[in-house]
Amino acid sequence: MRIVSSLLLVAAALAYPWLVPNYYLVYAGVLTVMYAAMATSWNILGGLSGYVSLGHSAFFGLGAYGTGLLVARLGWPWPLALGVSTAGVALFAALVGVAAVRVRGASFVIVTIALVSAMNLLAQGWRSLTGGSVALQVPSPFAGLHRGQTHLLFYHLFLALLAAVLLAWWLISRSRYGSGLRAIREDEDKAESLGVPTAAYKVVAFALSALFVALAGGLYALWFGSLDPIFVFSVVFGASMVLMSLLGGRRHLLGPLLGALIVAPAGEYFLIALGETQIHLTATGVLLVLVVLFMPEGILARRWRRDHNRRAPQVLRRSDGGA
Amino acid sequence: MITTAGLRKSYGGVTAVRDATVEVLPGKINALIGPNGSGKTTFFNLVTGLIKPDSGTVHYRDTDITGRSPHRIAHLGLGRTFQLCRIFPRMTVLENMLVAVRRTRLRELLAGIGNPAEIERARGWLRRTGIEHMETAEARELSYGQQKLLELAAVLMAEPELILLDEPAGGVNPALIERLVTLIRELNAEGHTFLVVEHNMDMVMGMSDHVIVFDRGAPICAGPPRQVRSDPRVLEAYLGV
Amino acid sequence: MTLLLQGLALGLLTGGLYALLAAGLSLYFGVMRVVMVAHPAFLFLAAYLTYSLHTGFGLDPLATMPITVPLFFGLGVLLQRVIIRGLDPMMSVLLTFGLALTVEGLLGTIYTGSYKSVSMDYATRSLSLGEVHLPYDKIIAFWIAVITLTALFALLVKSRFGRALRATVQHPEAARLVGVRTERVAGYGFGVGLATAAVGGTVLALVTPFFPASHWAWIGKLMAIIVVGGLGSVLGAALAAILLGVVEGLVLVTVDATWATLMFYAFLLVTLLLRPQGLFGGRLAHRF
Repeated sequence: MRIVSSLLLVAAALAYPWLVPNYYLVYAGVLTVMYAAMATSWNILGGLSGYVSLGHSAFFGLGAYGTGLLVARLGWPWPLALGVSTAGVALFAALVGVAAVRVRGASFVIVTIALVSAMNLLAQGWRSLTGGSVALQVPSPFAGLHRGQTHLLFYHLFLALLAAVLLAWWLISRSRYGSGLRAIREDEDKAESLGVPTAAYKVVAFALSALFVALAGGLYALWFGSLDPIFVFSVVFGASMVLMSLLGGRRHLLGPLLGALIVAPAGEYFLIALGETQIHLTATGVLLVLVVLFMPEGILARRWRRDHNRRAPQVLRRSDGGA
Repeated sequence: MITTAGLRKSYGGVTAVRDATVEVLPGKINALIGPNGSGKTTFFNLVTGLIKPDSGTVHYRDTDITGRSPHRIAHLGLGRTFQLCRIFPRMTVLENMLVAVRRTRLRELLAGIGNPAEIERARGWLRRTGIEHMETAEARELSYGQQKLLELAAVLMAEPELILLDEPAGGVNPALIERLVTLIRELNAEGHTFLVVEHNMDMVMGMSDHVIVFDRGAPICAGPPRQVRSDPRVLEAYLGV
Repeated sequence: MTLLLQGLALGLLTGGLYALLAAGLSLYFGVMRVVMVAHPAFLFLAAYLTYSLHTGFGLDPLATMPITVPLFFGLGVLLQRVIIRGLDPMMSVLLTFGLALTVEGLLGTIYTGSYKSVSMDYATRSLSLGEVHLPYDKIIAFWIAVITLTALFALLVKSRFGRALRATVQHPEAARLVGVRTERVAGYGFGVGLATAAVGGTVLALVTPFFPASHWAWIGKLMAIIVVGGLGSVLGAALAAILLGVVEGLVLVTVDATWATLMFYAFLLVTLLLRPQGLFGGRLAHRF
């Protein structure tokens, strides 16, 4: 039964672009799937190790600008540009991670905010490279396709990315490595005294989590074709990954995806219903406050608490083991 | 087994451990006693690498482990518990057991946690500590005594040669203390060396082979329980005469 | 040489202002272990209130403080009592982040996204000392910061409330044992922190144009200041603020604005790597 319903859901996700009446809804679908992939990727670090990063948009932006610049300035073929820039960002994240994970809790959050602010400054200040606040234009690698077909293509590319990230999270969460990350989340000194090399674990989680976000950024550059530093390097953008994961449930494989399915369409709806006012920021802010105060474990944790004793768990509880 | 020389650590103006030269005898149950604030826990943290000494050295067997990170010290075969029992509250009992790592190879890391041999080993320790019936519970659902047993069992998973216990009997009922003592004796007979910080004098004197007494951050005497009990310096430290 | 002197003098004045703006952040962290990401948003809320009172009723910006300061104090006590208390540090960061978004969205909706500024004729002139020119608005800002911080230190050091607050900061359990009502003290501490935001906002309105998203640029700077100063230490933050203000001023006149701002992040990074407890004491950074 579970398998059948899962397969139906996957089929529905694949067929979504053909089920909706217009290209705008396909576009909204691309955005939603992109957010879902990013939130799930954020959750490799945030959910498993408990380190909350508000600065993951830095990796999105670097991935986007890296790919965009390689394609636009050097004329590289897009898959190569995407691969090289993603690898570069992951390496960069590992280096930043070595410094960042030396501090815990709220100090770590400060470091991540500082990271994205610094990147934003650099992208705006280094005009000769990035074009500054004048958006960087990235030529579409699929010039033959019209706008709607491009949305369709990227919808499936982002869906593939989402599948890859979900698979990665699931594999990590049920590995000994994932177990070590959870131990870090629960009590870092204790984990260390049991022989878990906590620093290395955290750096790897940080870099892995950045890698998939950078991939999303690269795809975004190719899809959207225009990069504005204020958007891609914004703390708000990074916070949306956190909000989605928290709302859906950080301890669950599908939590961030669920959060994205709620928050991203809601954001688009606000934009249409209320126009270009700033009230959507207030809505996001209030939602974040409410989630933190009343359901910090997220939607799935609530549902899970009700029926967790009926199943016979092995090593993991469903809360941490995913589907 | 552990030899420290001139170990020293101060916080601001307060010296927590001064010139601690201590020897932990291999194969024995060693006890570390002393009044509150005499530096016992700081000494533990210095030995296990959780804090770094201002000066002095720590040797484990013939290896200098001064200033090494805790996980590398753990890999050498040192396991420890904490004064206020520390477990991973939101992980299951069984998963708590599987955190401890002795060697880290990439393939083992990426392998699932469900390795049957490991799980069997974990269940073995849970049986010996008497909490095997709780294996699927979340650790925070255990009673305090059970949590202490779990903490010890989890440490044993790494097969440590030397086990440091920080107040194992603190906040635990007499029946459980009895069980703990039996377990420690058995494990010692199987070749594990112990260093135990404890305030329960009956337990310390009844169980240990070698007692080290700390006062104001430094060891003041060491020897078999009988000898230590009658040492005037110890009486002075405890009674403040 | 003149250029350097100019940079140094401006940096010193700006540093004083930074000290005022960061004081609240240190206070929240000291008392509650809360990293109050929304502090800059409240600064600009105060700046907008000043703007409204100025344009609506013709009040001098400085004369709005008797209204905004008590208002913000009350708001701070309320915030602490109703929603912030009892949250762990990580969750409180996210919560105050949500507050920042809420405030920004409301400001954007009410005042639109365009720049606003409050300009007084006395604030547009400059004081010339030889070749060095110091704008009066920066000088006014500096002195308001000095006066406010002096008052704050006097409050923390001399008053009974201050003693209770410091006791709460240093050892909450011990403070409770000797009869300090730590919850109430924490609430007032938060109120005082937000009251400094009211003063800071007024000053900001005087010296710089602003728009609803302005607070983002300040979060990173102010965070860098309190980390470099040692989290939770009000005095450390003030010293770090002066230091970073001067560094920024010097880089500004010798290189450019981007690098001047990047200095904050460079100092933050180096502090965390080499001295996570901060340059001027504070032992808590590592844990929180």
